[in-house]
Amino acid sequence: MLKVSPIHRQYEVLPSLNDPSIPAMAPMPAGETADTQRIVERFGDGILAAGVHNGQQIVYVQPDQLLNLAKFLKEDAELAYEALIDVSAVDCSKLPQPLNGRRFQTVYQLRSYARKQHITVICPLENDEEPQVDSLTSVYQGANWPEREVLDLMGITFVNHPDPRRILMPAHWPNHPLRKDMPLGGEEVPFSFTWGDPEFETLGKQVLPAESVPPEVPPGMSRENMIINMGPHHPSTHGVLRLAVELDGETVINVDADLGYLHSGFEKTGENKRYKDFVYYTDRMDYLSSMNNNLGYVLAVEKMLGLEIPERAQVIRVIMSELQRISSHLFWLSTHALDVCGTGMSLLMYATRERERILDLFEMVCGARLTLSYIRVGGVWKDLPPAFLGNLRHLLEILPAAFDDYEAMLTDAPIWRERLEGIGHLSREDVINMGLTGPMLRGSGVDWDMRRDVPYCGYENYEFDVPVRTAGDCYARYEVRMAEMRQSVRILNQAIARLPEGPYKTEDRKVSLPPRAELDVSMEALIHHFKLVTEGFHVPAGLGYHGIEASKGELGFFIYSDGSGVPYRLHVHGPSFNNLFAIAKMCKHHMLADIVTNIGSIDIVLGEVDR
Amino acid sequence: MGLEQKLPEGILTTNLEKLVNWGRQNSTWPLLFGLACCAIEMIATGTARHDIARYGSELFRASPRQADLMIVSGRVSNKMAPVVKRLYDQMLEPKWVIAMGICASAGGPFNNYAIIQGVDKVIPVDVYVPGCPPRPEALLYALDKLREKQGRETFALYQRNALADAMVGPEGIETLDTLRAQEAVR
Repeated sequence: MLKVSPIHRQYEVLPSLNDPSIPAMAPMPAGETADTQRIVERFGDGILAAGVHNGQQIVYVQPDQLLNLAKFLKEDAELAYEALIDVSAVDCSKLPQPLNGRRFQTVYQLRSYARKQHITVICPLENDEEPQVDSLTSVYQGANWPEREVLDLMGITFVNHPDPRRILMPAHWPNHPLRKDMPLGGEEVPFSFTWGDPEFETLGKQVLPAESVPPEVPPGMSRENMIINMGPHHPSTHGVLRLAVELDGETVINVDADLGYLHSGFEKTGENKRYKDFVYYTDRMDYLSSMNNNLGYVLAVEKMLGLEIPERAQVIRVIMSELQRISSHLFWLSTHALDVCGTGMSLLMYATRERERILDLFEMVCGARLTLSYIRVGGVWKDLPPAFLGNLRHLLEILPAAFDDYEAMLTDAPIWRERLEGIGHLSREDVINMGLTGPMLRGSGVDWDMRRDVPYCGYENYEFDVPVRTAGDCYARYEVRMAEMRQSVRILNQAIARLPEGPYKTEDRKVSLPPRAELDVSMEALIHHFKLVTEGFHVPAGLGYHGIEASKGELGFFIYSDGSGVPYRLHVHGPSFNNLFAIAKMCKHHMLADIVTNIGSIDIVLGEVDR
Repeated sequence: MGLEQKLPEGILTTNLEKLVNWGRQNSTWPLLFGLACCAIEMIATGTARHDIARYGSELFRASPRQADLMIVSGRVSNKMAPVVKRLYDQMLEPKWVIAMGICASAGGPFNNYAIIQGVDKVIPVDVYVPGCPPRPEALLYALDKLREKQGRETFALYQRNALADAMVGPEGIETLDTLRAQEAVR
């Protein structure tokens, strides 16, 4: 019988179509490391399992020991997991034997910057109906928003959470969409050619009332002061971000960010698409750096598959990733200057001039300007066209001079300095504790770059500096990003020099399509082609998190596979989401106008914040 | 023709409708309002290479009271729909809407719980632009199409409120399910 994994995962109605082994739990971690050994020694029975899985340290912990474990991980000098990067949850109800019969698991990703270690903590929750677990906000400040996201989308209550509200969905939303008993939703698509069909009767008539709901005063704000509303339609919020701002005169007392105006259900969609089909969605998350998003997702899948990527594909990926970083930073620079500084409009024109040249290169390799989907599982979509390298070399000659121009306009400009220096200050402790990543981290003196410290795609073979500033204000972050663009040019020059000949995608026929010519002569190739096109590839049961250094920070994908061709749980750790958490701290006791500076300095993309 | 030859130099004759339409066609100010990926292409349309100023539309107004055109650039979520509707209501007549990209036109790849399947379920749309996202050239073509439409408008037919009202079904919301229920009753 043909083994097809249906897109809509109807295990109940189509059990015989599936391989009986397919909905499988992720295997328990095996082996041990120094860290897991130390944790097991300390907690004994509180740890359900500990070890290594997919090259990643994983600890399963009892819910009553979670808070203690978090404290231990953070405060123990030999462990020193200073930052909580990500919180997510898995609803195991469609898996054959949920762990000890428990439905929900919360998943934490922790990072030690000093020791360059990563650990995943998984906590199976006891109560299936009203799951609850201790909040980690008392240990890691950065747990605040990710826990609210889990509460919103998965319906898990975090005990002692300081602000247990929904964060993405509207407050009156009836359910928790990421639970497995919730359908994907959406509407039927009419596929009919008969105008008499009832589908067409509704055409143009389905006007929704779209009633406005009166906003509530966010907790901690007082009506005594002036509360103003910024966004979701505001030119300087860089998208559909809404901020409720409490003011005393012109001084900001409190800021409450209201997210979710662009929540698009990426995670739920991903859990209903085959692995290869979700690449196209990643473009639309951080739409300013599609290549990085493609790369992050693809690397996570490849990690689960244990796939080897040819050298040429690796170098092409580096080239694309760095070009995208420059283009994303250019867009950040132009909009930031537009918001803050008098010379804004001209800088927007100049920076987009260079950005358009990068988009031309992207168009050359994949035909699109923005939503690229060029990096695919197993390699890249097509080889570089012959004219690409010449044009890239030409661009790399232009770019340093262009950066000099921008710096001449801004770096010492009095207005620019006045508006950025000392604004939005974050200390080293703050950025680590809040779980911020990317330039936010490096602007406050943390010397951390995923490309250098947890290398992927062969970044260890390139020579580049990681710009770090210690001032921790908006100006420091500006300097970091400007220096990063120059380093990207340096990496690109090296990448061109080392670009080898060879295949641009893996030869593993279980993952990548055979070439057209092979189909005419090889039956085997035909079978591989058919299997790949109809059901995609299957990923072995397991779980994995992979983070990359995207232009805005650490972009991570957490995948829980049940062995089928569709991810069982797909969670995206968007850097903008975590970085935006700092907005309240950055804006307090500054002027109202500085909010705009701070938003620009965080460099958010709402597609990624809201996902 | 006859009359214009008798008039002094620099005087043209036209009718008021044509004059008003000419003015509207050449100074359609869009609302400064971006939703998702398409907003980036909208900004690219505004910058030097594509130069939306050729259409007299470079002046993106942040206040809906000063804008004539709403370019819905991106997917509209359930949470955003009331905001889009309110912004549309706040714009003064005459006003036009371009649904930029497949998400704003019909939901696009996001056929799920979060996204409204086309902004035309909330506000009336004049021009739909396909693409994900549409290239700046496509947006400029949509502006061309809008100019054609603006050029055809007459004072007598110009009743956009009536048109908008006509789009709302008798029960307010009609879905496929309610229609099928009505079918079943019949």
